[in-house]
Amino acid sequence: MTRRSLLLLPGAAVLLGQAPRGGDPQNLSFPLEAIEGGITPPDLFFVRDHFSEPGLSLDSWKLRIEGRVRRPLELSLADLLEAPTRKLEAVLECAGNVAGGSAVSNGVWEGVPIAHLLDEAGTDREAEGVLLEGADTGRLMQNSPRLPYCQLVTMAKCRQPESMVAFKLNDRFLPRRNGFPARAFFPGWYGMDAVKWLTRIVVLGPGGAPNNFQASGMEQVYNRVTAEPGGQRKIVRLSEIQVKSAIAWPADKMKLPAGRHLVRGFAWTGGGPVRRVEVSTEGGRTWTAAQLAGIPKPLSWVAWRYSWNASPGDHVLMSRATDGAGRTQPLTRDPARKDGYELNFCLPVRCEVR
Amino acid sequence: MKIFWLAVFAAAPVFAAECAPSKLGPQESLAKFQELDREAQAAMDRGQFAAAAARYREATCLAPKAARAFYGLGVAEAASGHYPAARQALEKAAALLPSSNLPLAMLVRVNVSAGDADKTKQALRAVARHFPKDGELHATLARFLAENKLLDLALAESLRAAQAGESGPEAAVALAVLENNVGAYEDAIRHAAALEGQPGLSDAVKASAAGVAGLSYESLGEREAAIQHLRLAIRLAPLAENSYLALADLYEKAQRFKEAAEVLEQARSRLPDTHNLLLPLGNNLIWAEQLQAGVEVLRELLRKAPDTSEAYLRLAEAYRKMGRTEQEVQVLRDLARRQPTYPMVHVLIAQAMLRTDPPDYPHVLEELAWAEKAAPADADLFYLRGKVYAGTNRYPEAVTALRRAIELRPMEPSYYYQLGLVYRKLGQSALARETLARMEYIKPVPNGPR
Repeated sequence: MTRRSLLLLPGAAVLLGQAPRGGDPQNLSFPLEAIEGGITPPDLFFVRDHFSEPGLSLDSWKLRIEGRVRRPLELSLADLLEAPTRKLEAVLECAGNVAGGSAVSNGVWEGVPIAHLLDEAGTDREAEGVLLEGADTGRLMQNSPRLPYCQLVTMAKCRQPESMVAFKLNDRFLPRRNGFPARAFFPGWYGMDAVKWLTRIVVLGPGGAPNNFQASGMEQVYNRVTAEPGGQRKIVRLSEIQVKSAIAWPADKMKLPAGRHLVRGFAWTGGGPVRRVEVSTEGGRTWTAAQLAGIPKPLSWVAWRYSWNASPGDHVLMSRATDGAGRTQPLTRDPARKDGYELNFCLPVRCEVR
Repeated sequence: MKIFWLAVFAAAPVFAAECAPSKLGPQESLAKFQELDREAQAAMDRGQFAAAAARYREATCLAPKAARAFYGLGVAEAASGHYPAARQALEKAAALLPSSNLPLAMLVRVNVSAGDADKTKQALRAVARHFPKDGELHATLARFLAENKLLDLALAESLRAAQAGESGPEAAVALAVLENNVGAYEDAIRHAAALEGQPGLSDAVKASAAGVAGLSYESLGEREAAIQHLRLAIRLAPLAENSYLALADLYEKAQRFKEAAEVLEQARSRLPDTHNLLLPLGNNLIWAEQLQAGVEVLRELLRKAPDTSEAYLRLAEAYRKMGRTEQEVQVLRDLARRQPTYPMVHVLIAQAMLRTDPPDYPHVLEELAWAEKAAPADADLFYLRGKVYAGTNRYPEAVTALRRAIELRPMEPSYYYQLGLVYRKLGQSALARETLARMEYIKPVPNGPR
């Protein structure tokens, strides 16, 4: 028995080391090298805030479900804790995570399926989507009014069995900075829709006017913008996570002694399980299959490793993943892309070996 | 329980399919029902649950709208371990007598006993639906769920109790504890602080509240507030070891080892019979460089609890700091004897033995052979073996061992250093230079990219 477990009630662990609230929005990520095994510990989970973390009280926190529903609901945390829940391992990536970046984490999530909550509320047949609103507020754009963080998600995605209002991560309650007491979570989709500190779900019908969404300027961000022939721009809302891998070790510009090294990293996708990961030690000229740490599961990342016999000289390491939908990471960024999202091209990692 | 005597005896009862038709009149039926009920209760008292269930089943046939009979049947079936039958009977009782919370409360208990999380939640939802304002019921369920380690559900029921206005001090402390455990630190502090200053409460309740507030402040990074509240908890309940442990833990994390040791010494003087203080006390004394005192405490702990592996390691650390290598080796050997599979214990022994002057190389090699059996791919054991071979002038074997260590952990500079020295002894200057240059090459650059 640990000393900690002697304190007060048995069982639940005390979450330690939380950052104080009320300050600036946080933007935290931690080197993937620090992650042992396949699950990101809560204190190494990445954080991307738009607005400051809200001060929420369990006494007063409520999740309202309203809009095109027959029975508007106001749920407390007790209601969520006593509702049917689902637990699954899944990756969460920020849509703006750079190639090789660490704004990506993999955890075991537990929460109430959104479909269950929508059924309880009795959604209209014509309902097409939902507006998700958090308790954090601010100005997204310089000229926009101060509004809650919000996102629009299609009804089809909400109805998928894995989409949930999550309240636990890795068998602990969500850390404050990751959305305590509850956040939306759509496994397989980028993190912007996983609205933290969730307080409102508004069911929208055809042509429903999600005022806050437009007024906040949210519709202007998180879009895939592609330059089309003729100068037109095609704009598509971001959703599914693109296939991607990252090298956790070695780091870029690392100096290594000649000999055998274990290159390791992670690969993930929103489209089915990762099928394979390959590694190049020659800047993408040749590729060799890496060893996956187990059978890849849909929606979660898979750890991989590659035993590299490093000879003296300068090397450029790259990893590339292919997913179950047959998509392979591109070697370079598509020049037609005019936005800063879905940066899933293979990042070169330069190593000097002596 | 009296409420169940209000069961309605229908003039024309609807008999369940397995019930034989009764020819008794209403008065006779009531008399028979009461007799069956008495017999069933007597059987329950004797622990004859199957017999009790049979009586209650008979009673339900006689009075199919008698909630009391179905409730009794549910309890008897549950006691017999027949959970589906118990559930069915209790659901029927709840439907027959919706104004009573007993059947649903018992249904929760049955589902917990059956280990059925989904059905437990289902029953709790029914409780919440039918008795949203019954704070006492929710508080009772919260206690029961906490006792059964269902802390999420205990929190849910505690929140419902608080919402229903159940403001008893024990319920409030329980809620604060759960809030602290789930990370709702401000809530926990608010609830706990309100109790700390409430007149008329016992010191024990106030101490618990102060303890929770202390832990929550600590989690928020507000160390001084945490110390203040934990000190208050100690003042209010000087015989509760948890507050001392929490405060010492806080000091320890802040590397204020002397203060941690002082708190634990104070606790020890008040609670001389407890073992739980000894390990942290010994640890903190040693980290505070009060080595002899730490040794004595840990020796006392090992006399009382000889399987405390951390105590052996800390003792070894103390002896190392005191330059008493033989005792360091001995205490590690004691650990190996007690726990032969303790990770790396033979490597630790070998490391300690290499510090003796002169080292007993053959025995170090023996220890390393043991270490290799336990963990054949451990780089350190090959490194130590290389050092032993180098110390006994067996340079080619040292090269082999050190190269193996490097193969297993190529980014460890000290392995290259040792190998470089061995190459030098062998007169292989070029290899020595190359190896030492490699060590310099991979040495970590402070605060810079590698």
